[in-house]
Amino acid sequence: MNESSLRKATPGRLIAITVTLLVLLSPFLWLLQMSFKTNDQILQFPPPLIFTPTLENYISLWHSAFSASFLNSLLSASFSTALALLLGVPAAYALSRWAGRGKHGLSFAILVTRMAPPIAFTIPFFLFYRWIGLLDTITGLVLVYTSFNLPLVIWMMQPFFDTIPVSLEEAALVDGARTRIVFTKIVLPMVTPGIAATAILCFLYAWNDFFFALILTRTNARTAPVAVVNFMNYEGWEWGKIAAGGSLVMAPVLIFSLAVRRYLVSGLTAGAVKG
Amino acid sequence: MSESGIDGERRRFIAWALTPSLVVLFAVAVLPAIYLIVTSLTPFQLTTPGSATDFSEPFRNYGLLPGDPRFVNSLVVQAKLSVWSVLFQVLLGMLLALLLNVPSRFVEFARTFFLIPMVLPPIVVAVIWKLIYAPDISPLYYAAQALNFTMPALTSSVDFALTSIIIADTWEWLPFTFLMVLAALQTIPDEYSEAALVDGANKLQIFWYVTLPFITPILVISGMFRLIDSVKAFPLIFLLTGGGPGTVTEVTNYYAYLLAFDTNEIGYSSAVTVVMLLLVCGISLGLVWMGRRREALA
Repeated sequence: MNESSLRKATPGRLIAITVTLLVLLSPFLWLLQMSFKTNDQILQFPPPLIFTPTLENYISLWHSAFSASFLNSLLSASFSTALALLLGVPAAYALSRWAGRGKHGLSFAILVTRMAPPIAFTIPFFLFYRWIGLLDTITGLVLVYTSFNLPLVIWMMQPFFDTIPVSLEEAALVDGARTRIVFTKIVLPMVTPGIAATAILCFLYAWNDFFFALILTRTNARTAPVAVVNFMNYEGWEWGKIAAGGSLVMAPVLIFSLAVRRYLVSGLTAGAVKG
Repeated sequence: MSESGIDGERRRFIAWALTPSLVVLFAVAVLPAIYLIVTSLTPFQLTTPGSATDFSEPFRNYGLLPGDPRFVNSLVVQAKLSVWSVLFQVLLGMLLALLLNVPSRFVEFARTFFLIPMVLPPIVVAVIWKLIYAPDISPLYYAAQALNFTMPALTSSVDFALTSIIIADTWEWLPFTFLMVLAALQTIPDEYSEAALVDGANKLQIFWYVTLPFITPILVISGMFRLIDSVKAFPLIFLLTGGGPGTVTEVTNYYAYLLAFDTNEIGYSSAVTVVMLLLVCGISLGLVWMGRRREALA
């Protein structure tokens, strides 16, 4: 039998794919190469394609206030991930096992929370934080990030729990085990890969945030994305440092994305929110 | 044995597992929404004491909206940005998916790299395009110079500013539609196109009569998802144009941001945001409705 000629990896097609990939990624690669150039090399015309890479930009960046904001990003993203998992994982399990009538309404409400433009949350949070003194604190950021990470956890974890046969739990229950024990000792260990993937996605969404951090922080809790923009405003012509800052901000994202690429698809398409 | 231990205990566990999340979601999502609506009924300005609780003219802000040329303009700009970028994303995403829909280890490996623009932090995407659009260091301008062609300033020109945002936005979100369409393509059984091939159809005809009807629903749905998200475009506009020149790239989201955090008109900004939220909810409901209909048809 002849294979369909429509879906075959012909050499021509492979070349076309490679060329498309290079063209598509060229803006990204441009930023990356720029971060290893000195400012003189950046302004040179025509741009030198072969040059001795320098780590100068990264080093001077690391000795500036940027490293503190990098740490802020790390802390706020990690804590909000932990909080969202702690609350969201049991909730997702409950929703998966509960065939009640409110289930669809709740799922829709969760979807809407993920779709709402961030500014809708920013104004109330800003006013409230100003009032109770949470502006420019990591705690404040963690709470805001939970508003989009908790729905993400519930959304992502439900299908993982759905795949575990109920009969398994029922057997343990009949044997007299309490539901809490069944959940922690039997169900949770079975969904560990799901939890890991969800955790990484939560971390990425919090790490990627720019808007909330821009408005809710000033100097103490400033995160890395805001810091990059900040020195763009103050050191406008230090292109090499700007490129290095951008590269540092995207590094964790690229590494983690590769780690969870199997789950990336469902996480990114589940009411994909970024912004 | 209906009301015996197991069922009751299980119900208690479900309540225990669900309650904390519901309470937190209520606190971080529902309360802010209510607060936003309440604020939108006041002439609240941070500098005017007492204005946060002044409900003497609750619908004043909403009454002002239709006569505010910047608000009306922002809706038009938003519509232009959304329609063009979603159109390009769906079209190019589909072409890319068709190109990559081949069974090959190499292609499967390469697929991950196509997702890079979408997973990058949005602010880094904005930095990337800032570098591309900055005349002194941009490869675009080098190329133009080498070809003896004068490239107009892109982000500061009235004619090209919005286009430059659309290009950057399309680049960032193209992988999303690509992913969705590719997933749909992979569910089409090969037999269909093979049968059509045997019947003498050419590739274009197979695409038009076999593939396209299959992926139309996913094209519409991914387009709708992007439409909802396009309302949030912020980092690109913030870094590349700042809403300018003039108000050429000032979308509703950006206008609401400027109102609240630049000119201090918190009450009025809240009204703008509520209108935006209603639009997003409308599109979301449409999306859910279409999903239901699809399930019913399937």
